[in-house]
Amino acid sequence: MKKALLNFFERIEPNKEKSPLLHTAYDAFFTFAFAPNTVTKGGVHIRDGMDLKRTMIHVVLAMQLCYLFGTYNIGAQHYEALGMYPGFFEGFHLKLVHGLIKILPIFIVANVVGLGIEFYYAAKRGHGVEEGFLVSGALIPLIMPPDLPLWMLALSVAFAVIIGKEAFGGTGMNIWNVALLSRVFIFFAYPTFISGDEVWVSDIVKNAELGAGYVSDTYGWAHGVFDWIFRGFGWSTFGDGGIPVVDGYTGATPLALAAKGGWEGVTEVYTVSEMWWGNIPGSIGEMSKPLIIFGAIFLILTKVADWRIMVSMVLGAAAMGMIMNGMVDPARFTEDTAGVFKFMAVPWYYQFYMGSFLFAMAFMATDPVTAASTNTGKWIYGALIGAIGLIVRVWNPAYPEGWMLAILFMNTFSALIDSMVLRGNINRRMKRATAAA
Amino acid sequence: MEFINIFIKSAFIENMVLAYFLGMCSYLAVSKSLKTAFGLGLAVIFVLGFTMPINWLIHEFLLSENGLFGMDLTFLKFILFIAVIASMVQLVEMVVEKFSPALYAALGIFLPLITVNCAILGGSLFMITREYNFSETIAFGLGGGFGWFLAIVAIAAIREKIQYSNVPPALRGLGMAFILTGLMGLAFMSLMGIDPALLAGGQ
Repeated sequence: MKKALLNFFERIEPNKEKSPLLHTAYDAFFTFAFAPNTVTKGGVHIRDGMDLKRTMIHVVLAMQLCYLFGTYNIGAQHYEALGMYPGFFEGFHLKLVHGLIKILPIFIVANVVGLGIEFYYAAKRGHGVEEGFLVSGALIPLIMPPDLPLWMLALSVAFAVIIGKEAFGGTGMNIWNVALLSRVFIFFAYPTFISGDEVWVSDIVKNAELGAGYVSDTYGWAHGVFDWIFRGFGWSTFGDGGIPVVDGYTGATPLALAAKGGWEGVTEVYTVSEMWWGNIPGSIGEMSKPLIIFGAIFLILTKVADWRIMVSMVLGAAAMGMIMNGMVDPARFTEDTAGVFKFMAVPWYYQFYMGSFLFAMAFMATDPVTAASTNTGKWIYGALIGAIGLIVRVWNPAYPEGWMLAILFMNTFSALIDSMVLRGNINRRMKRATAAA
Repeated sequence: MEFINIFIKSAFIENMVLAYFLGMCSYLAVSKSLKTAFGLGLAVIFVLGFTMPINWLIHEFLLSENGLFGMDLTFLKFILFIAVIASMVQLVEMVVEKFSPALYAALGIFLPLITVNCAILGGSLFMITREYNFSETIAFGLGGGFGWFLAIVAIAAIREKIQYSNVPPALRGLGMAFILTGLMGLAFMSLMGIDPALLAGGQ
């Protein structure tokens, strides 16, 4: 099997001189299948199969559970809004297929655009394809709302890869997290498509005939194909759409509710266990807390991500949450109290249940390229992300969630933090050396 | 409390460089190394922190209608403000030359050019249009200077870091600095919109 594959690769190897683009693509797939056997000779170097590509694959592996649940949750949220199939396994095939129909185009567009640009640059600049985009391309679909127009996604990915990465010289050189840059691009360029209450549940549209009511959108051809298959099995089908949503549906996320009515406002709509297991509307992959924690532990055990950043980020956010709790006195709240004070009064440990804190902590902040790289620097970097993220989330009325912006903000300063830590270290050792002499 | 609010607002939320894009020329030119950027940043904090209160006093007691001359002389404000800024910069220049000749040599022409750094004059003009009082002016001067300092040391650290990166040849140097500034502005937008006064107002 292995021999056959190797032979196959050897036979199809294109000529590097004649067709550099083809050879780049070939090289990318070849090193994906086999670890390259060129190792450093002589000297004391660590010889290990754990190269860049394997490191990246570990991150992608850690995200797989989020993908599975995210796919299911797109469908589950859709049907929850319609008041159909309340149980976990009821209409399971419909939920899963609806999720797949939503997530697959996003995944394909993000990866085709991103990898296409990457391949082009690799051939143009004469280096091998670096697998940096594998991780970004896996992260990007998870942090997008399910109904995002695909051309917007393509534009944002192109922006992030060209301006955010290739301009800096490719994988490992970028200063800002590529996946977050693509999200922040949509966030500022097309804010109505990535914030507010209406974007987080897929295929629910306003219906003019029913007044201000929402109905499910007319399904496309993909749903029709699956309906045909399901009918063959005698299972329930999608139908034509146009089903009105349940009374009182708003599609608001826990954060939007908390910004208006504090923790009481959230618990009126969602239970704590729903938030913990992730059965709430939001970006595709960010919802299920246990699965993200599982991924985080996987990353820590394989030492791909640094536990210092995760721990310090939790500590920073917890400290900031306690400060906010201390600044307000819920006993003095009246009807007229502004939402921001009620948000501040949310118990600090419940801040972790809402929004994308854990996802940002596990997969975004720990990106070894953009994070601070000294150990002391990591503590400072993580703690500041935790604190600033909560500040943006609670105190900034312009944005619903803070971690994306907080991480980009601290990416800006990670080079400075490293520089300062190194300088401090040099000074300390210099002092010690002169004292000893 | 108002003092702290304005300081935070001018340093982080409405950063001189990254929100208003003021003071660009020395920001782009002197940010190649962290050491000189640090020195220039301190000089800007100093100049902003001193010229703005002085300009405020001049505006309030010499140029305004209820001032010393009893007539509206505010059309003279540009000339007088620049004169104050220029003399302040001279002072900084002499101090730097005396105590740190190495930094003086590294900063070169950009030290006297702080005079025409638009962040400095811009700060003085903002102070008038926003009708700050004296203590608010001091807070605005120090905060604006600190924000400028923060922006230039951050970009200098990044530029030092990417010195050995495989940046496309056409973008090396100034082109990269522009991209960096734009992306930093994007990151700084995270805090834009926070209103410290609302929070300080209490429940």
